[in-house]
This record gives sequence, C-alpha cells and structure tokens, in this order.
Amino acid sequence: MGTIAWAGRKIGGALVVLWLVATAIFIAIRLIPGDPAEAIMGGPGSQASAEALAAARAEYALDQPVFTQYLLYLGKLITLDFGSSYSLKQPVTEVMGEVLPNTLWLSLLALAAAWLMALCFAAAASNAGRFGSWLGNLLEIIAAAVPHFWLGAVLIMLFSSALGWFPAVDNGSAQGLVLPVLTLALPLSGFLTQLMRDSLSEAMGSQFALAARARGESRLTLFWRHGLRHAALPALNLTGWAFSSLLSGAVVVEAIFARPGLGRSLLSAVLARDIPMVTGIALFSALVYIVVMALAEGLERIINPAGEQR
Amino acid sequence: MQRTSRSSRILAGSFALPLIGALLAGCSSTGTSDSTAQSKAPVTGGTMVYASGDAEPSCLDPHVGGNYPQALVASQYLESLFTKDANGEIIPWLAESTEVSEDGLTRTITLRDGIKFTDGTKLTAEAIKANIEHLKDPNTASSTGYLAVGKVVSIDAKDELTAVLKLSAPDNALLESLSMPWTAIESPKALERDQSTNCTSPVGTGPFKVDSWEHQKAVNLVRNDDYVLPVADTKRTGNTAYLDGITWRFIPEAATRYAALQSGEVDVIDNAQPDTISTAADSGFGHLDAPRPGSSNRIELNSSKAPFDDQRVREAFIRAVDANTGVSSLFFGTAQRSNSLLSSVEPLAYSDAALFTTDTARANTLLDEAGWNERDEQGFRVKDGKRLSLRFPVSTNQSVPAEQSLFEQFQAQAKAVGFEVKIDLLDLSSWYGALAQHEYNLVSAPYTKVGPSVLRVLYHSDSTVPAPSGYFANNAQVKNEKLDKLLVEAEETNDDAQRASLYEQAQKIVLEGYYVLPLYDQQNHFLYGKNVHGVGATTAVSSPIYYDTFLDQ
Amino acid sequence: MSRSAKIFSTIVILVWLLMALAPSLLAPGDPLAINPTEAFQKPGLAHFFGTDESGRDIYTRVIHGAGDSLAIGLAATALGMGLAIILGTVAALSPRWLDEVILRVLEALYAIPSLLMALLIIAFTGPGVGPAIVAVGLSTAPGYARLVRSQIRNLKNSEMLEAATVLGRSNWLKVRNHLIPNALKPLMALVTLGIGQAVIWAAALSFLGLGTAPPAPEWGAMLSAGRVYLHLAWWMSLFPGLAIVAVAVSATVIGRALGGKVKSL
Repeated sequence: MGTIAWAGRKIGGALVVLWLVATAIFIAIRLIPGDPAEAIMGGPGSQASAEALAAARAEYALDQPVFTQYLLYLGKLITLDFGSSYSLKQPVTEVMGEVLPNTLWLSLLALAAAWLMALCFAAAASNAGRFGSWLGNLLEIIAAAVPHFWLGAVLIMLFSSALGWFPAVDNGSAQGLVLPVLTLALPLSGFLTQLMRDSLSEAMGSQFALAARARGESRLTLFWRHGLRHAALPALNLTGWAFSSLLSGAVVVEAIFARPGLGRSLLSAVLARDIPMVTGIALFSALVYIVVMALAEGLERIINPAGEQR
Repeated sequence: MQRTSRSSRILAGSFALPLIGALLAGCSSTGTSDSTAQSKAPVTGGTMVYASGDAEPSCLDPHVGGNYPQALVASQYLESLFTKDANGEIIPWLAESTEVSEDGLTRTITLRDGIKFTDGTKLTAEAIKANIEHLKDPNTASSTGYLAVGKVVSIDAKDELTAVLKLSAPDNALLESLSMPWTAIESPKALERDQSTNCTSPVGTGPFKVDSWEHQKAVNLVRNDDYVLPVADTKRTGNTAYLDGITWRFIPEAATRYAALQSGEVDVIDNAQPDTISTAADSGFGHLDAPRPGSSNRIELNSSKAPFDDQRVREAFIRAVDANTGVSSLFFGTAQRSNSLLSSVEPLAYSDAALFTTDTARANTLLDEAGWNERDEQGFRVKDGKRLSLRFPVSTNQSVPAEQSLFEQFQAQAKAVGFEVKIDLLDLSSWYGALAQHEYNLVSAPYTKVGPSVLRVLYHSDSTVPAPSGYFANNAQVKNEKLDKLLVEAEETNDDAQRASLYEQAQKIVLEGYYVLPLYDQQNHFLYGKNVHGVGATTAVSSPIYYDTFLDQ
Repeated sequence: MSRSAKIFSTIVILVWLLMALAPSLLAPGDPLAINPTEAFQKPGLAHFFGTDESGRDIYTRVIHGAGDSLAIGLAATALGMGLAIILGTVAALSPRWLDEVILRVLEALYAIPSLLMALLIIAFTGPGVGPAIVAVGLSTAPGYARLVRSQIRNLKNSEMLEAATVLGRSNWLKVRNHLIPNALKPLMALVTLGIGQAVIWAAALSFLGLGTAPPAPEWGAMLSAGRVYLHLAWWMSLFPGLAIVAVAVSATVIGRALGGKVKSL
C-alpha cells in the first residue's frame, strides 16, 4: 500500500482511538464517587458553602445533563482546551507543559538504555557457550521479573546510602538521572532481551544464515547484517507497549526518587479527583502511544521492506 | 484545622518558641546536643534545602484551604497578628496591642507602625479588614481560616493602625485563632489579584519571600531584605535572616527523604520516621521536636450507630487494646502515650490515665453484659445474628506507617476479645467520603488549632451537622447538652480560672464517656544536618521559622 | 521441553500449590500473630526471615501470603485471557468493519496507561482484592486479544480448517474444536508469563496503597510496609520481594519451557 495511503489510514485510525479514549475517560471519571464540585472547591473536607458549590457546578457545567456535558467536553477537546486543573487552578496544558519534559526525557533515556542493554546482552548471549547462554537466560528472566518499586529502593540503599555514588533525589544533574533510569530500564531490558534472543536464534539458525556461514561469513558480521534486523523487529513492534508501560512505571519511579513528572501529577490528580488533569494526562499518554506505535511501524517498514508477516 | 499531612511524635518538655526567645532556641529543643549553635557565631549566606514529606500544596496562600503543609512553608513569608511566647502565652506580634469591650462583642486591634509588605504596601488596619474579608469570602474556599474567624461580623478601620472587629458572640479564642498561619496577614494589594496568581506568589511581611514555584520541583524562597522584626531584639545584630534563601522541596518517600539528608543533598527534613529520630544523635543530626497544638492523635468511636452506641462496648474496645506497648515499641520511644484529648502544648489539657489502662478481663465482662455473649465459628462475638464488626477507614495521608502498624496491632488485640475490625486503607478523598457517608465506627482524624477551643470544634453537637461538602468535625458524634453548654460558656467567659475549670469539666465528660481513645501528641519532628544551626524557633502552630538559621560556610 | 525444565516446572508448581492451598504445612505459625516485644528481629533460627514491626514472623507471612498473591495473579490472568479470547475470536471472524471497530477499541484500551486504568477502577470500587483483579485483568486483556485475533486469522485459512469444512463440520464446531485450541497453544506460554506480571502488578497496587486490606500478608503490602524501615530492617522488604521475583521467574521459565516465545504481544 502506498505510503501516503498508509499514513492517511493511520491518522484516521488514531483519531478514532483518541475519541474512544476520551469517551472512556469521561465515563470512568463520572463513575467515581464524590462530588466534582467539591474537588473544584479545594478538595474534600472543605468548608465551601452551598452557594459556592452551586456556583462551581454552574461554572463547570456540572449541573447539565450528562450527554450535554459529554458534547461540551468533546467540543473543548477538539479546540485543545483542556480546562484548568481543579486543585492547581492553572490551565492543564501549562501544568503538563512544566512537568512533561521530565517524564518524556526519563522514559526516552530508559527506553534507549533498555535497548542498548538488550542488544549487548542478546549479542553476548548468542556468542556465549551453553553455560553462558543458560546463565544469560536466567539473568534476563530475573531482570524482567523485578518490581520497579522494590528495585528503586534497593538501588537507593546500595548506590546512594551505602556507596554514595549517585544522589537519591533529583538535583538537576545528569548523575541524578542514573538511578531512576536504571530502575525503569532494567526490567524492560530483561524483557526485550528475551524477545531479541528468540528472534535472533531463529534468524541465526535460518537457511539464509546457515548458507552465509557456509560461505565463510563470521558470526559477528552475520549478526550485524542479518540477525540484528530480525531481532529488532519484534522489539520494535513492542516499543509502543514498552513506552506506555514506561509511563506507568514512571509513576512509581517519580514518587520514589522525588522527580517532577507526569506520573506524579497523574497520581495526585486521580487522588484529588482533578478531572481536567486526569483527562489531559490520559489523552496525552494515548497520543504518545499512538505516535510511538506509528513511528515504530514506520521504522519496521524501513527495516523490513519485504513486508514479512507478523 | 484538620490535618492533611503526616505527623511524627513528641518528646516531653518541648513546646513552641517564638522569635523573641529565638536566641535561646538557637539549639534544638531536645536532648540532642547542638553545642556548636551556642558557641558558633551566625554567618550570613547560603541557601538551605528543605525536604518535606507532605504532598505539595496546591496553593501557597494558606487562606485557601488551610492545611499543615501550607502552614509549614507559609511560616517563612507570612506573619500573624499574634503569636505564642516561650510560656505558651498569646502575645501580640504584627499587632501592638488589643482590647475587648465588656460585653465581649467588640475587639479592637492596634497594629505596630513601620511594617511593610514585600510589595511595598504599608501594614495598616485596612490590611486586617482585607484579610479577614478574604477569609470569609466563599470564593477563597478557605476552610481553616474561615472557621477561625467565624464569629467576626464586621471590621472597620478606625484609623490607620487601629481596626475594630464586631463579633456575633464573645470569643475568647479569637486571639488564638489569629495566631495561626491560616489567618496570617497578606498584602491587600496582592489579595486583589486573581487567585491563581496569588496562589503562586503570596505577599507577606515575613523574613523570606516567594521567589518562584516550580511545580513538583521546589518552591524557591529568598531573603526579605527589608524585613523588620515586629518586636525588636537587642541581642540580634541586623534585622534580616541569615540565609540567602530556602529551596523548599517535596520528597514523599520517607526512605528517599532520609537518604537525601544522609548524603547531604538536603539540609532539613520533616515527617521524620520514628526509627530515624531515635538514632538521630548517633548519626550526627539535629532534632527539633515540636508537637502540634490542638487535639492529640486519638481514635474516635462513632457513638451514633451500633455497636458503639452502647458505652459498654466502647469501653470494652478501649480496654482490649494495648496502646502503651504499641506506642513505645513502634515509635522507638520518640512518642509518649497521651491520655488527653488535647495536645501536651495546651496548658489546659486534662488527662486521667486510669480510664485507659488495658484490661482484657474487663473488656470481656463488659461485652458479655452488653449482650454480645455468643461467638461465631471464627471467634467473633455475635448478638441477634449480627457480628460485632467495626469499620476503620485509615487515611494513608494522615497516618504514618508506624500509626498504621499500631492500628493493625489493635486489630489483632481486639480480635482476641471478639471484635472484628476491618481496616480500609484509603486515599484522602475516599477517606473523607467514607466519613461523610458515616461508613465508619473508628477513625483517627487529628485537628490542629491553637487553644482549647478546638474542643468545641470537635465535641459540640453542632459539629455533627455536615457542611455542604459533607464534612463534619465531630467524628465521635458526641451529642451531650451539658457538654455543649460548657463548651459555649468556656469560649465566652472573661475569667481565666473559670475558663480552665469549664474546659476541664468538658474534657472529663468526653473522656469518661469513652468516646475517644487518646494515643499521643500530633507528631511533628524535624531532622537537620550537622551544617545547620539556629533551628528551633516556631510559630504558634509549631511550624519552624528559619529566621535565625544559618549554614556552615 | 528439556528434562530439567520439566522437572523444574513440576517442582515449582507443586510448591506453589502447597503454599497456596496448605500453607500451614510449610509454615505452622499464625501469620497474624503480633508480638511487639519481638519486633525487628534479624533473620535467624527462631525466625527464618526475621520479624516485622509488630513482631510477626516474616517467613510465615510470606508463605501464607502466597495464596493471596497467586490468587490475584491467576484470577487476573484468567479474566484477561477470557476477555481476550472472546474479543479476539469475534474480531478475527467478523466482517471487516466489525473487526476494525474492535481493533480500535483494543487500541484505545491499550493506549490508556495500565496504571491509570487501575487507579480509575480502584477509585470507583475502592481498594481490595477484587478490584485489583479486575484492574490487572482489564489492562492485560487487549494485548492477549490482539494475539488471539492474529492467531485465528492465520488459522482461518489453514488446511486443517479446509479439511473440516469439506467434512461438513458446522461453523461453531470449527471454531470450538479447531480455531480456539490452536490459537491458544502459543498463548499458554504467554499466560504463564502473564501470571508473573500480574503478581507484580498486584504488588505495585498494594505498594501504592490500593491493594488488599491489612493485616493480610499479601506480598506487595509487605513490601510497602517494609520500605519505611529499609535501612533498619532490610529483611522486611527483601523476602517478599524475592518471593515476587521467584514467582515471576518460575512462571517465565515454565512458559518458555512450554514452547512459548515472547514474540509478539
């Protein structure tokens, strides 16, 4: 299919998905018990008077029938008006803009680190002997099984409190990024490595590879020219999911390492029933996921123009 | 006010110290030696890094909402009309003098001259008017401040420095109310701005001012170079703070926060965990122990519904649990058991330890007497086919891990006597929701307020009437006419002796009715590094002010 | 699968079953028994894994907690798989437009960060075991559904199916006897992997304070309680953490031994 047609289909699909996500969030939030007017007036336990609550409801159209609210909500979204955060009283886009770069940066670095580690491991493992292979296998599996929150605390204890190599909290320096990135990247790298190894061993054992070996190509060259491409494909495929799971992981990591970011904002927004913030962050995450998926697919097409069936 | 942050524990003998006694308070107010403070001469310079374990406030103006995290940070840049001195007496601060009419309905406040806000506006009586009106304005959404000035009907500026407040009823707690950061005085010109702007940069008269607020990163405070100490201190050279500024950060994870202190990334932390406090001296950290005023940390028993509508059952529960052992083991000796409704910093706190001694035999007898004498297969008591079951919503925001563990211990001990206790760990919104819906039999909801008038907020029957938001402060649902009269009279009398006696009678009624199980003071512990000196001065709500603090250069 | 893998898997599954169904055999004590005077004991002969802040034996709690944690993992995965099979089969076998619609719905579910979904669900229902199961199950369903769908699509045109059609088997029989079982084979491996991930997820929810109620010895809740005392009593966090990792690791090993390749999700 032509690239333009493909892109067109993708964009159309993306819009549909975004609409579905917006609707799902709208429904989900309406289901949560609690009066949104209260959240607007400063949270539960506030001494807001009945008039103040009524005024808040009118201002935010909370006294309208649900379907009207839904249409108003969609209308605002189309114009990219996410409204103001109930707790912070600032435009959602502003607040997100402040903290977003941190989370993006953290996630991208973690993704890159995970990829790098996975590639090295996969390459090393495919070269190692039986024992090395078995050991590598075990290590990958363990890495993928470690919970973020546990890993973060352990890393802080080891590298910050005990050894003092890296700071425990964000102080703006690059050093402050090491532990959080490692916490996010390690489990993901375990997962990616397993992925790559399977594909790699398949590729290296394929007819094509055997023929190349017979021709005298070294394993390393073969790995670079042939194996890598095949190993990367499924990992690329999973990148969309990986990025999305990194965002989820960021919630925990940002809490543990006291880093500003979308994850922390999300947690406090849900707890405070801050509907505009939750909606903004959810839609943004969905958008990021869609974009990353599209990019990954595009990259796949480039690496694999033969269009190998998934 | 209702606390929405963590708490730590008290050590005996510590109390709030005002700026006047500041030089004495140059060292920490506990046994840990900070001998360097007394021998060291203050040096100017440096930015202190403070790490709070509380959630970042959504507004830096404590008029909006009104919780303790706001008080902690606002104490650096806002000041109140009154404050507490070293003996716990209310003294004028921004105010110079005050008097009240015979009938108690007119309160006159005269301000000191020559004090300016950091935006250049002069402090005048108009400022008092603007601030109290700001608190009472529904658009401000103040909860704590709003309640505090509840009886103020009107304010008039008689002249530039004199304000006359008309009250709806005599209020001998008004000065205490005006000593809290939630009623602090902000620049009237600043208050005219829209709320979102005022939330990010409130303007006050304090030793620091807000420079910028990077959300989730830090609130940046800088020294107020035009600061004027309301009460001149001859021992101090220079009016301004020693620190160039304070970086106010939020690190909710206790372990991370402590690790940051250990590595020197931060200089001062709050919400210190009990085990770290007990080893503070060995680790070389300074320790400030400043229990919050108002109520003690206690468990309230909902007397409005079964099974706690029966006093025998209430007493049975209280006798079944062993608070003394739990408190001393879980808090590593940093919190002392309290048997009073009020914080130990309140001079009028009354306690009777005999009421709360653990006695499982008596607990069993009481339950048998109350008709709960059958047990089901799991060992819980039943009556008329219903199990003796208690719901206990616990806010993970308000209850530190040690307190949650304490409640788990109570759960196990109550089980031995036949109670089924269901603990629900909830976030703050859900917790308030459960309370508003009356879905609780037990709850721990500390309330920080200066003065014994907190008893009326907590135990007068009016406080069982929910606010439009559904909130009510009288969680024990005490509805006792005699108690109501005592509490109202106590707030209106001019006679100190009578006030003390009335409050004592009131506390007796609540304690002897077994509506409440007092545990310990509202914990408020701060740990600071070896390089920090001059920590100790606090406001009337026990929040530290870093005016006298300086760092090793 | 290799012999050693078979033996390993069998032993692991037996141990799990034992821990979940008859914990008292491995740990006869009471996981809820408090003993404040024995608080914070180091691991030793009296207490293999040490004690926690209320003097409860951690070894006993870890063993008894297996039931809770494994139950959540299994139930959540079952829920996710159930939904996935339904959605995936319907999508694969329906006309193009319905397929597209279901695909978009799956993508939308996938696009919402799983933690957000869990938070929203729990904000609605309140914390607890049930909500945790629903939250984890719903967030894993889309991934499995896509897999089921692609498997069935591939099989739709397979020879086996053609043979069945020739033989005159009804559509429903074809689906039941051929499509679904063959689609599920590669999924089995993923399911075991998923159980491991589900256990971790449930622990994460407990860690954030949204999981089981105290005093249940659920591993995530134990980790959460232990993290405050990390520098004082590292054993409170280490052993529940190891238990979680052990379950996830053994689940993965079994899954891979079943022939699963983590190829596409």
